[in-house]
Amino acid sequence: MGSFISNLILASVRMASPLIFLSLAELYSQRAGLVNIGIEGIAAIGSLTGFLISLITGNPLLGVLAGALAGIAVNMIFAYATISLCAEQIVYGMAINIFAPALAAFIYRVYFGSGSELVQAGLMGSLKSMLGIKSNNFLVNLFLDQTPMVYLAYILIIVTAIYFTRTKSGLNYKAVGEYPKAAATLGINVIGIKYLSCVICGALAGIGGAYLTTCYSKTYVDGNVAGRGFIALAAVIFGRWSSGGVLIACLFFGFCDALQIRLQLVNNTLPYQFFQMIPYVATIVVLAAIGAKKAGPKSSGQPYRKEER
Amino acid sequence: MAVETAAKEVLRMEHITKQFGSVYANRDINFDVRAGEVHTLLGENGAGKSTLMNVLFGLYQPTAGDIYVRGQKVKIDSPSQAVKLGIGMVHQHFMLVEAMTVFENIILGDTRSKGIFIDQNARKKEIMELSQKYGLDADLDQPITELAVGAQQRVEILKALYRGCDVLVLDEPTAALTDQEAEGLFEIMHKLTGEGKSVIFISHKMREVLRISDRVTILRSGQTVETVNIGDVTGEELANKMIGRELKPSQYEKMESDGEAVAVLNHVSYHKNSKHNGLNDVSLTVRRGEVVGIAGVDGNGQSQLAMLLTGNISPEEGSMDLKGSRVARFDPNGFIQENVSHIPEDRNKAGLVGNMSVSDNLVLKTTKDPRFSDANGLHLKKKAIRNYALEMQKKFDIRCSSVDQEARNLSGGNQQKVILARELEASPDLLIAVHPTRGLDIGATRFIHDTVIAQRGSGCGVLLISADFDEILEVSDRILVMFEGKIMGEYSGKNPPIEEISLAMAGK
Repeated sequence: MGSFISNLILASVRMASPLIFLSLAELYSQRAGLVNIGIEGIAAIGSLTGFLISLITGNPLLGVLAGALAGIAVNMIFAYATISLCAEQIVYGMAINIFAPALAAFIYRVYFGSGSELVQAGLMGSLKSMLGIKSNNFLVNLFLDQTPMVYLAYILIIVTAIYFTRTKSGLNYKAVGEYPKAAATLGINVIGIKYLSCVICGALAGIGGAYLTTCYSKTYVDGNVAGRGFIALAAVIFGRWSSGGVLIACLFFGFCDALQIRLQLVNNTLPYQFFQMIPYVATIVVLAAIGAKKAGPKSSGQPYRKEER
Repeated sequence: MAVETAAKEVLRMEHITKQFGSVYANRDINFDVRAGEVHTLLGENGAGKSTLMNVLFGLYQPTAGDIYVRGQKVKIDSPSQAVKLGIGMVHQHFMLVEAMTVFENIILGDTRSKGIFIDQNARKKEIMELSQKYGLDADLDQPITELAVGAQQRVEILKALYRGCDVLVLDEPTAALTDQEAEGLFEIMHKLTGEGKSVIFISHKMREVLRISDRVTILRSGQTVETVNIGDVTGEELANKMIGRELKPSQYEKMESDGEAVAVLNHVSYHKNSKHNGLNDVSLTVRRGEVVGIAGVDGNGQSQLAMLLTGNISPEEGSMDLKGSRVARFDPNGFIQENVSHIPEDRNKAGLVGNMSVSDNLVLKTTKDPRFSDANGLHLKKKAIRNYALEMQKKFDIRCSSVDQEARNLSGGNQQKVILARELEASPDLLIAVHPTRGLDIGATRFIHDTVIAQRGSGCGVLLISADFDEILEVSDRILVMFEGKIMGEYSGKNPPIEEISLAMAGK
């Protein structure tokens, strides 16, 4: 039982990491007033790009970097349409969700042919193996048996928290999402910050996707993001649009994910699909309980037009 | 202040023209400001005051014309450029981020202090010094949402001063203020001009303009009419220049009605303990053929009173009689069927569907009428609706490019006329009018008052809720004063005891 719980905790932290990247992507987007529901699609492209580059170069870190760049590239479509053309954000987010995973699947087929043989790439090593530590103590595992990406995720949480609460730039950034017109009258470059938000969002969502193929699973399969992009949307709401809240939300959803895998292994009377539902059911319950009290950035979802009368 | 006419010129705008499509919002406007003066821009809604100021503040680019600051020709292509030149602006709709505190709003976009992080103590000290110097008290750590309108305005002024402005533009600053708050604002304006700063004051309230200005520039339909020293004109002359025709001072005859009581409230309470959003033991009667005015400072339960009388909320205690029978169920449609009309307090949020056309808005309440649809609303008779809309457009003088135009693109006065047309065409038995002339110019206000009085004449009972005391005095036959959800007293509309009513409005 003890090992069940410690394994569960270890798995929760691991499963939370991709969610943290994706949720922070959404957080940076929404804080600038852009509701991007296309995180799922961006992550799919990031996932494939990460896999391919990691396979070709043999370096998973390069894979992650490439995933980030691919994410930015895809998100620039969303940025141009919603910021410069003032198009409906939900529509373009949805378009990315349809377009990007299909593009990823297409590239995969083109590159590997239609054979069913699964190609495998190497995974990123953990800090423990890099340092050559042999101990199997729980705390050692918790703090050291993690890939560098996990540390990056938690560092980003802290950096984001400081950025939005302590810095001048963070305050200006938030004002863009709350009341862009007021921000503009104070000399803040609203359009610039909105584009910047899309770069950050695309990069983080791409990294989140690449995490899945460089740190989590050795291979790319279509649909491997598995709704995490949407859970990230829920995590941002659950986390009340704050960095710390997002962390708690991601750990919670990570825990649900880890729990369902463990329960599948332990139990063999119930069909496994029941356990697979856990993270999604948890999302619905949490949103139903918390979503009612909306407190997000005021101008989320609305285009910003200069010289509007 | 006429002695100071030799004072230095700080700002000059020459031949400013601004076009929106084919419409001229400003046409060849000349305007200048001297150090230490209050220069008023006077004009009706849509005269181009706000446009001109948005050009000055870099929010709009002028189609033609030049701006000079302290004698230097400048190009202002962004608000930050304007701020650098020492121009500050308090917009009519406050530019405050509600989710942030007073302090955060003031330092937002700050580029003068160095460093990445916010040095709270140093910045707060600077702000406190400014706030003491000009008597702008503000609690820096309070969130904006908890501030009253007057306090929010002080934050806006502090924001401009913190950025080091020499010329402060106040765009209709008194529109949302009580008389007391407005007095406070005037004091602040005096302190500013005393320090050599200049204030551009935008208003169409004659009393204030005469009281506070040194010079007045009058705009009409986007053009400059004249710039005058305040000592050289009377209020009447100003008003006539502003609207371009003679304005007859007319007083409506006050009536004492003993007609049928259309609406009676018996000891009604709703969220009794909420001082600002509740009703506490309210009893009142509205009879046919009279205008009952509810005076009081905004946010003392007036909104709840209006919602209750139109069936949008139901009382927690007490009862209501509508045309002699007890109301059993409070729902808006039931009240509409009983011929109750409503001019809601916020025409954009509650009065109109902005994205729908003028003609669709006109029939919103009557879509089931056989004139406009077959089979109880199943199929709309588009042509009949359009013809009806054209008829209403003429009757109520609704100025729009076409009745198919979206309602949100109309000016405030014309939006209100659309609502009037919809609400009054059915000759209501009871009319609840909430701030019917808020933000409207003299011409539109007069039209609406005339219409309300005409309804009274045809046997309608009118309840007028307004925070504009002058409006209440102008049209009410009986005046009730509300304070913290309670009725403080009842006064006759004929020779009303103004002093006493003012005290009642303050809760004394």
